[in-house]
Amino acid sequence: METTFIPRSLGQPGLLSDVRAFLAVVRREWIIFTRYPSWIIALFIWPLIFPMMYILTARALSGPDGSGLAVFIATTGATDYIGYIIVGTTVWMWQNIVLWDVGFALRNEQMRGTLESNWLTPTWRFSYLLGQTGPQIVTMAMFIGVTALEFGLLFGIRLNGSPWMLGLMMLAAIPAIYGLGFAFASLVITVKEANAFVFLIRGMVMIFCGITFPVAILPAWMQTFAKWLPQTYLIHGMRAAAFAKAGVKELLPDLIPLLSFGAFWLAVGYFTFLWMERRARKSGAIGQY
Amino acid sequence: MSQFAVEACQLVKKFPARPGTGDKPLEGEPASSQRKRRRLFGKKEPKAMFTAVNGVDLQIQYGEIFGLLGPNGAGKSTTIRMLCTLLEPTSGTAHINGYDIVKQANDVRRSLGTVLAGERSIYWKLTGRENLEYFAALYHIPPAIAKKRVDELIERMELKDRANELVEKYSTGMRQRVAIAKALLARPPILLLDEPTLGLDPQAARNLRELIAQLKQEGHTILLTTHYMEEADQLSDRIGIIDAGKIIALDTPEGLKRRIDRKEIIRLEVSGWQDYIGEKLRAMREVESLVARRQNESDLWEVNLQATDSRVVLPKLMESISQNGTRLVNMNIVKPSLEDVFIHLTGKALRD
Amino acid sequence: MQLTTLSQPSLTTHLRALFVIARKDWKVFWRYPLNALSSVFQPIIWITPVYFMGKAFSTNGQAAGFAAYSGTGDYMSYILLGTVLTNFIMTVFWGMGYALKNDMDSGVLESNWLTPIPRLLILVGRTLTSILTTTITSATMLILAGLLFGFRPTGSTFAAILTAVPMLVGLYGFGFAFAGVVLLMREANTLVDVGSFLVQGFSGTNFPVQSLPYWLIPISLMLPLTYGLDAVRGFLLKTNTLLPIPAEIAILLFSMFVMLWIGAQVFHRVERRVRTLGTLGQH
Ligand SMILES: Nc1ncnc2c1ncn2[C@@H]1O[C@H](COP(=O)(O)OP(=O)(O)OP(=O)(O)O)[C@@H](O)[C@H]1O
Ligand SMILES: [Mg+2]
Repeated sequence: METTFIPRSLGQPGLLSDVRAFLAVVRREWIIFTRYPSWIIALFIWPLIFPMMYILTARALSGPDGSGLAVFIATTGATDYIGYIIVGTTVWMWQNIVLWDVGFALRNEQMRGTLESNWLTPTWRFSYLLGQTGPQIVTMAMFIGVTALEFGLLFGIRLNGSPWMLGLMMLAAIPAIYGLGFAFASLVITVKEANAFVFLIRGMVMIFCGITFPVAILPAWMQTFAKWLPQTYLIHGMRAAAFAKAGVKELLPDLIPLLSFGAFWLAVGYFTFLWMERRARKSGAIGQY
Repeated sequence: MSQFAVEACQLVKKFPARPGTGDKPLEGEPASSQRKRRRLFGKKEPKAMFTAVNGVDLQIQYGEIFGLLGPNGAGKSTTIRMLCTLLEPTSGTAHINGYDIVKQANDVRRSLGTVLAGERSIYWKLTGRENLEYFAALYHIPPAIAKKRVDELIERMELKDRANELVEKYSTGMRQRVAIAKALLARPPILLLDEPTLGLDPQAARNLRELIAQLKQEGHTILLTTHYMEEADQLSDRIGIIDAGKIIALDTPEGLKRRIDRKEIIRLEVSGWQDYIGEKLRAMREVESLVARRQNESDLWEVNLQATDSRVVLPKLMESISQNGTRLVNMNIVKPSLEDVFIHLTGKALRD
Repeated sequence: MQLTTLSQPSLTTHLRALFVIARKDWKVFWRYPLNALSSVFQPIIWITPVYFMGKAFSTNGQAAGFAAYSGTGDYMSYILLGTVLTNFIMTVFWGMGYALKNDMDSGVLESNWLTPIPRLLILVGRTLTSILTTTITSATMLILAGLLFGFRPTGSTFAAILTAVPMLVGLYGFGFAFAGVVLLMREANTLVDVGSFLVQGFSGTNFPVQSLPYWLIPISLMLPLTYGLDAVRGFLLKTNTLLPIPAEIAILLFSMFVMLWIGAQVFHRVERRVRTLGTLGQH
């Protein structure tokens, strides 16, 4: 060997570098997202379409003289069935979209072939997943905003509670909803045909969490089961905040379980991710699609 | 600390055998040991294992270009994947720049620039520049340095005119250059290149080989895999020939060729080749190996024959070939190339 | 020497072609049993919220408000029947378009179309299997849902099925037109999503159209499907119908011919246009 001059790496490890890497993931996701705006149509159509079937059915159930509606108001304590239903369906769509977007974040990268490139860098790997969550929360906020706008304009739905309390409920739900998404995202990488899980989870939310009805109307065993789903508390709390003028104190019975589930699902999400990372390193599953 | 840039010791990688892919469990060894362990945990039947890399030893000096040469499925990519920390070896150890690939994975990643086979390692929906800026952050390069480095690499890879266009509009060659620029971003001391010229046209491949030679001049250690003989011959300081997961020869290109110095290589082009002719010739004592392969779908066959004494072989050869519609089209007696070394070692051609 | 082709078109060869297409799809369907399972359970999951919502609107199991519109307080039977019919409607409506899209994506469309079988026949062939599988999955779903929610038809099943036939045949016309649109736009999902919503919303699959806001009712009345669903329910559940049932059947028969004719026209126009543009093989 003649000269053995070894180039010095330009990379500088450290917390700051990891933060920058995380921001780069957020930025990349955002650029790609805004560059292909086909989602705009979906953004305006779905908030309207999905609740519509339930709303129109509820309208028929109300009866021409409003006799059914009177029963509904007596059982639920709600004044307005449209608002009542929209809260439920919005939560369902939120979880559904997170399962597809965040849940398939890694899988899509795997299919694009870029997952390995990311995995080759010395960045904290959980940032890839966390970083995709940022833009997803922004679009979700837009989605909820559009829902409110559409139903406010077209159906004259008005909030009579505090928007802050409503926001608080949704904020408190983020760990649980996204934790589930993280766990799912890791599962999809190693377990093929994981789509079935999306159908399972969103089916459970649909059946048990009271998206169009009060949970109290369910048979006892179903009510017990519903207690184990964070979405139940979210829907209940959001309805209370939006239409019953509930304050923090009234919302605590929903907030506390919601946050506890959040801690649980975030932990599950994180550990599933670690498990997947190790497993994929053994089996080479990262590079396959 | 080792004094080697890349050092691998008895690397082994086993995969669960995938049914229907023809991956056969090698040498029947996994069965007993695996079965015992699984039984302890009350697990289901042991899976058949397929050994993709089977005890690879490598010692690559700083500043060296090392070529890993082998046919499809030899285990080249699997070796690279283990070295760049994407895969964990089943057994054995390896060190990159002195760091253990399992225990010090992040330090290894910092020391490496890797180009994996295939052109899908970058985001097609970002521009070339955006890709590089993104990966610069992921390689932990501070923003000020990153900006300069990205500009520099765009210039160097001749991407300047189209750096702000989406990668999906690039040609294969341009995508490959972005992928290489990405690997060079952190100016890592060691580069792993898995089939870097795959899919490039001859001109682009030549440019890339020039670049690789330059990178060596700049002090990078390079491990590259390829199944192009000329490429390995031209670029590498040393070559490891890998087949069925094992390194079966390791030497300088000259050293490898010297091994079959005294052999004579006869290269024939034959139309209407029949397998039985091969059988007949192989039976001759003077014929060491014979490989026939069809030239892209035509009726023309290329036959590579290694003999100890061509004077004995040639008459017999002519005789058996000019029968039953078989016709000799072209014949050369050539100097041994790396490919001939490969055929000599394995009895089969590098590319089918 | 003049070569005579082995291909001798006749009615039997056409029928055999239909059969071959259907059998291929049948095999493919059962290769993914999860899909079959999902088409049984998805509808049940989607109407569960309706079931419990209905309870919130009912006293002693009677949905009085619903009965005032439809003539029956048994809203679950009403909706289950709507769901089953929706399954069939969707199959015919979108089945051909989806099949076309699949063939386009997998690149076999051109080779299918090189055969001398009329294109529309190929399209119909693609739906035969789905009709059969939809029947199987819908029946299973109905049995399960009947156990869970209760399904109590009181009227004549035979008359109801007989009424459904011209409705479905007429839908083929729409299916042809939609297949033409897919051929032209090479995209199906958004159209299907929006289209399904409109159909479900306006033809009353889940509720009597009488309950729609009055300014939306005219749209419902323009859809032949509305009368089909209405008449089937009138026979099976003895609900109030919009028009006398014979009048509804007359409308169905008339619209069946009109839709088939229009659909075939649209498809042929589009197909010719695509052939001039040469965009068939691209995707
Ligand atoms: N994740 C995996 N799971 C199972 N088998 C695998 C996996 N990755 C590779 N293999 C198998 O290991 C063997 C070696 O593959 P490898 O990709 O290392 O070959 P290669 O030398 O790079 O060949 P090529 O020239 O085709 O790129 C092949 O038979 C392949 O099928
Ligand atoms: Mg390879």
